[in-house]
Amino acid sequence: MDKSGQSRGSPKEGAVRTRTLSLAAAFIAVAGIAHAQSATPGGMPPPPGMNLAESAAMRFPQPVRVGDLLHRTVLQPVESQNVLGAVREVVRTGNGTIEIVIDFGGFLGFGTRPIAVPVDAMVLLGQDMEVVAFTPRQLRKFPTFSPTGTTPVPNDTIIKVGLAKPSH
Amino acid sequence: MRSPFRPDDVPDPAILDNHRPLIKSFERRGLIRRGLSLGALVMLTGCDVKRPEAVESALLAISRFNDEVQALLFDPNKLAPTYPASMILKPPKFNAYYDVMDVKPVNGATWRLELSGLIADRRPWTIQDLQALPQRTIVIKHICVEGWSYIGGWTGVPLRTFLQHVGADLRAKYVAFKTADDYPSSIDMASALHPQTLLATEYAGETLADPFGYPMRLRTAVKLGYKNPKWVTAIEVTNKYPGGYWESRGFSWFAGL
Repeated sequence: MDKSGQSRGSPKEGAVRTRTLSLAAAFIAVAGIAHAQSATPGGMPPPPGMNLAESAAMRFPQPVRVGDLLHRTVLQPVESQNVLGAVREVVRTGNGTIEIVIDFGGFLGFGTRPIAVPVDAMVLLGQDMEVVAFTPRQLRKFPTFSPTGTTPVPNDTIIKVGLAKPSH
Repeated sequence: MRSPFRPDDVPDPAILDNHRPLIKSFERRGLIRRGLSLGALVMLTGCDVKRPEAVESALLAISRFNDEVQALLFDPNKLAPTYPASMILKPPKFNAYYDVMDVKPVNGATWRLELSGLIADRRPWTIQDLQALPQRTIVIKHICVEGWSYIGGWTGVPLRTFLQHVGADLRAKYVAFKTADDYPSSIDMASALHPQTLLATEYAGETLADPFGYPMRLRTAVKLGYKNPKWVTAIEVTNKYPGGYWESRGFSWFAGL
């Protein structure tokens, strides 16, 4: 049947209109909910003048097994939660600091390159991780990771990583 | 092209302008904002959109109706899905209405759980008192209204056991909570008595860590995440609607799963 042939205001068209409006009403009913959980943003960068270790200590570092960090998605702490990469491995540098090696950048998993980010620049976000102390622009300038001078941290090692609330 | 749904009598477009702040407050994504139209507002409020209170009270009436339907559908004996301990996320996911740097740890040694309302024995409780009651461990999914979830393992005294122990009136309507981070919350008695509702003091077999509610938090498998107050300091059993932090900001009160 050709709907466009109906006269304006016919019962059928009225029903369509009501459904459209109901849908809009349903949207209104849920819209406030998603909005309200973010009174203050999560994943805030370190306060100016504070070094990474000090700012990480403010994020209630929690024990986590290194093996449980592998393959975690690494996100940018913004509402759109842009994916920066995935955790490849955890290494200890010559001076003893722990760094997270991230398969960074690329597109759909292709063209990534490994970069090493200090663990104190990152946080746990549930099953994911975030880089809070460096912007994607800064990360793009990180050198490609070379294992020379670092030692891999075994999977069963427990390290401490700070937390953040979701950024959305 | 002229919309086929355009009514013959078009309301004054100034009405939308007059309610701009209210509409802004609803916004989350552009999609939702575009879904909001003068027509939708008219339908919600019985054609009286001149008063913003009318819009709000109409939305709240719908929300209260939803709460009542959910309470009717709630089955106190139906258990939420549980998971093997190997699936527990360690550590759990942090969330609050503020960022983690603003968490104020609670001193477990001086902490007391205060009781009030329709409870026979209102003596305050220490953490050791709570842990001397029969404990239960559940591995359940935490589901946030924002859309994320994780599997967590929680240990504590079932709220039902606790309420029976202190002689609470189990026919009362509400169990309300106060917390150290000023996040009041409340649940219905049926959900409070559900076997998967705990006063949790441990996570994954270890003492609850500071950001997750040490020394004690509510953990229930039958409600959304925001109905699980952390750092609980007081429990009240009452018949007077207690509301809650997000509930007073328009969230659904029942929030069942």
